[in-house]
Amino acid sequence: MTRQLASTPSTRPPDPPGRPLKQRPRRWSGRSRRDFFVFLALALPNLVLIAVFTYRPLISNIYYSTLDWTLGSASATVVGLDNYVTFFSSDDASKVLGTTAVFTLVTVGGSMFLGLLIALALNATVRGTTFARSAVFAPYVLSGVGVGLVWLFIFDPGYGVLAWVLRGIGQQSPQWINDPQLSLVMVILVYVWKNLGYCAVVYLAGLQSLPQDVMEAAALDGANGFRRFLSMSIPLLSPTTFFLLITSLLSSLQAFDLIRIMTPLGTGTSTLIYEAYLQAFGAFNRAGYSASISVILFAILLVITLLQVRFVERKVHYS
Amino acid sequence: MAANLDRRHFLGLAGASAGAAALSACGGPDTGGTTSASKAAEIDFSGVKPAAKIDFWTNHPGKSQDVEKSIIEKFHVKFPDIKVTLVTAGANYEEIAQKFQTSQAAKSGLPGVVVLSDVWWFRYLTNGSIIPVDGLVKELDIKVDDFRQSLVDDYKYDGKQWALPYGRSTPLFYYNKDHFKAAGLPDRAPATWQEFAEWAPKLKATSGAQYAYIYPALAGYAGWTLQNNLWGWGGAWSKDWEITCDSPESVEALQWAQDSIYKHNWAGVSSKEAADDFSAGLTSSTISSTGSLLGVLKSATFNVGVGFLPGGPKAASGVCPTGGAGLGIPSGISKEEQLAAGTFLKFMTEPENTAAFSAATGYMPTRTSADMTAVLAKTPQIKTAMDQLAVTKVQDRARVFLPGADQEMAKAAAKILTQQGDVKATMTELKKTLEGIYTKDVKPKLKA
Repeated sequence: MTRQLASTPSTRPPDPPGRPLKQRPRRWSGRSRRDFFVFLALALPNLVLIAVFTYRPLISNIYYSTLDWTLGSASATVVGLDNYVTFFSSDDASKVLGTTAVFTLVTVGGSMFLGLLIALALNATVRGTTFARSAVFAPYVLSGVGVGLVWLFIFDPGYGVLAWVLRGIGQQSPQWINDPQLSLVMVILVYVWKNLGYCAVVYLAGLQSLPQDVMEAAALDGANGFRRFLSMSIPLLSPTTFFLLITSLLSSLQAFDLIRIMTPLGTGTSTLIYEAYLQAFGAFNRAGYSASISVILFAILLVITLLQVRFVERKVHYS
Repeated sequence: MAANLDRRHFLGLAGASAGAAALSACGGPDTGGTTSASKAAEIDFSGVKPAAKIDFWTNHPGKSQDVEKSIIEKFHVKFPDIKVTLVTAGANYEEIAQKFQTSQAAKSGLPGVVVLSDVWWFRYLTNGSIIPVDGLVKELDIKVDDFRQSLVDDYKYDGKQWALPYGRSTPLFYYNKDHFKAAGLPDRAPATWQEFAEWAPKLKATSGAQYAYIYPALAGYAGWTLQNNLWGWGGAWSKDWEITCDSPESVEALQWAQDSIYKHNWAGVSSKEAADDFSAGLTSSTISSTGSLLGVLKSATFNVGVGFLPGGPKAASGVCPTGGAGLGIPSGISKEEQLAAGTFLKFMTEPENTAAFSAATGYMPTRTSADMTAVLAKTPQIKTAMDQLAVTKVQDRARVFLPGADQEMAKAAAKILTQQGDVKATMTELKKTLEGIYTKDVKPKLKA
C-alpha cells in the first residue's frame, strides 16, 4: 500500500517553507478495515480462549500464591512472598526439587536413548516391522490410569507377576510400593516404558529422512556402520533430538497420572507438579502454598525452554 | 493492510485481554479477615420449607451403593416432596473430601448431605464448610440420645454437634481359623501382642502362608491401626495438643513392630489392602476395618475368625480406636436445602436403616435401639465388633485434627516398617512435622 501511494502522483500542495511537517491522521481504507475485521474474526476467538483458559488461571495462580489460604475456606490472608520463603527454607525444597530432577533426567534420558535404539532396530527392512512399530507405539496412546493400574498388579510384592517370577527363583519381591526409593524406581520404569514408543517413532522418522547419498558416500570412503552412526547419523539427527528433548522435558516435568495412580501419597515420588497437587488437594489443603509451587514450576519450565532455544538450538545441524 | 495499524490494534487487544484476565483473577477467597466456624450460631429452622431436591455425596463406604439406593427409595416413599440424588463423589474419603473442598472454593455445586471421615470433619468445621446440626436436631426431633454415645460424641466440639455417625467402624483382628487349628493354637484372637509373638513362629511353620501377620497398607490409614500398638505400649501420637509420638513408650511400640518384620521375620506390610491379602491367603492374620468384614467373609475360601485388637505390655484393653465416617451438612447451601438435608439425615440414621446398612457392610449400627437380631443371626461376627465398642477410645487429636497428619504418620511408618529406619530419629522428625502443622494450620484457627 505504501509502495502504491508513492508511485501515485501527489495532488497535495507542497508544504510552505519554514512550517514543520505535519502528518495527517491516517484513515482506514475500506479494504484495510475489511482485512482487520477478518483478522479479528479469525484471531479473537482464540485470543479470548487463551486469555480465559491460559492467562487467567496463570494470573489467578500468581495471586493465590501470595495468600495463606486453606482450600475450602471462604477467607484468606495476604502473606506476600511468605509461601515462597517457606518452600525454599524448608526440607520440602531439596526433597521435591531432587525428586523432580531425578525423575525428569532419568525418564527423558531413558526414553530418548532407548527410543533411539528401538528406532534403529525398527529401521531395518525385515518382516514384521510394521507390527513391531505399532506394538512399540501402543503404550504411548494408552491411558496413563490404565497403565498405572496394570503395572501396580505386576509390581505387587504379595501376588504380582514379578513377585511370582522372583519366588520361582527363590527370591523375595522388593517392597516396590511401600519403599519410597523403590517407588520412584517403579514409576520411572513405567513412565519410560510408556513414553519410549513416542521417541522411537519420532527418531524412526528422522532416520528415514537422512540423506542416503551422504551415507553412501561415507560408506564408500570406508566408514563402517558404527562410525557412520556416530559421525553421520547422530549429527544429522540433531533437529530430531532437539525436538524430542524439548517435548520430553516439558511432558516429564508435568507427568501426573502415573504418579497419582501408582503412589497416591507421593511417598518418594513427589515431583513439583505432584507436590503442588498434594498440598492443595491432598490432605493439607494449603491452596496458597500449592499455588506458589505451581509458579515455581512455571518459572522452571519457562527458563528451561528459553535456555534450550537460546543455547541448545545453536548446536543443531539443520541441513 | 498497514503494518503499524495491525500491531497497534493487536497489542491493544492483547492488553485488553490481559487486563480482563487480571481483573478476573481478583476472585477467590475473601482477604478482609478470618472466619471461624466454631463461632457459628445455632440456625433457627422454624417456618422454613424444605427444598424439593438435594444431592447426597458418598463414596459408598463398605461397598454400600445398593443399600444406600434402597434407603433412598424408602425415603422417597415417605417424603415424596424431597428428591434425593445419590452421587458417587469419590472412591474413598480423601477423594470425596477433595470434591467437597473444591466445590466450597468454587462456591457452587454443593450437596445437601456429605459423607465426612474422622480425619476431615474437623477441618470442615475450622473452614466454616459445615453447619452445626443442633438446630435441625431441635426442629426435626432427631433422637441424639439413642445414638451410641462414643460414636456421636466424636462429632462434638465447642458445645455443638457437627455431624451424625453413619458408616462407623473400628479395627478388628481377623484370623484364619484353619491356620490357627493347624498350628495347634486356640480358636481366638491373641489377648496381647506378646502372646501373638509366641504363636507367630508356629503359624509361619505350619500354615504355608507368607506371613503370620500383615500390617495394614501404609498408604491407607496407618496412623489409625498403629494407634493400637502405641496405646498397648503406653504411648500415643499425642496427648491433647502435645505431640508424644517420640516418647520412649511410642518408640518402644514401633521398635517392636519393626522387629516383628526384620528380626523375627514373621510379619510383613501390605502394599494395597490388608483385608484382600488376608482373603487371598497371603497371611494368617491381620487388622482391618469392620467395614471390610462382609467383603472378607464373601471372598475368603477358609474359615474366618474375628476378635478384639490385642493389647500390649502396658494396656491389655482399651486399645481400639473408633473410626469411619459421619454425615454432615454444608454451610454454603440455602436454609431450605439444609432442612431437606436434615430430614434425609434423620431418615438415613433411623434405627431400621442403620441396621440395614450394618447388615450390608459390616459397619456398626449407630443406634442403640437398632434391632440387630436378624443381622447377627446371619453374620454373627458383627457381634464381636459391637462388643468391642465398649472398650474403644477416641483417637489421638494429632491424627484426626491435624491436616495431613495421617499421611505424615504413614510416611514415618513406611520408613520404620519398610526401610528399617531408626525408630527414635523417625519419630523425632515426625514430631517436628506434626508440631509445624499444628502451629501453622490449626492453632491460629482455634484462637479465632
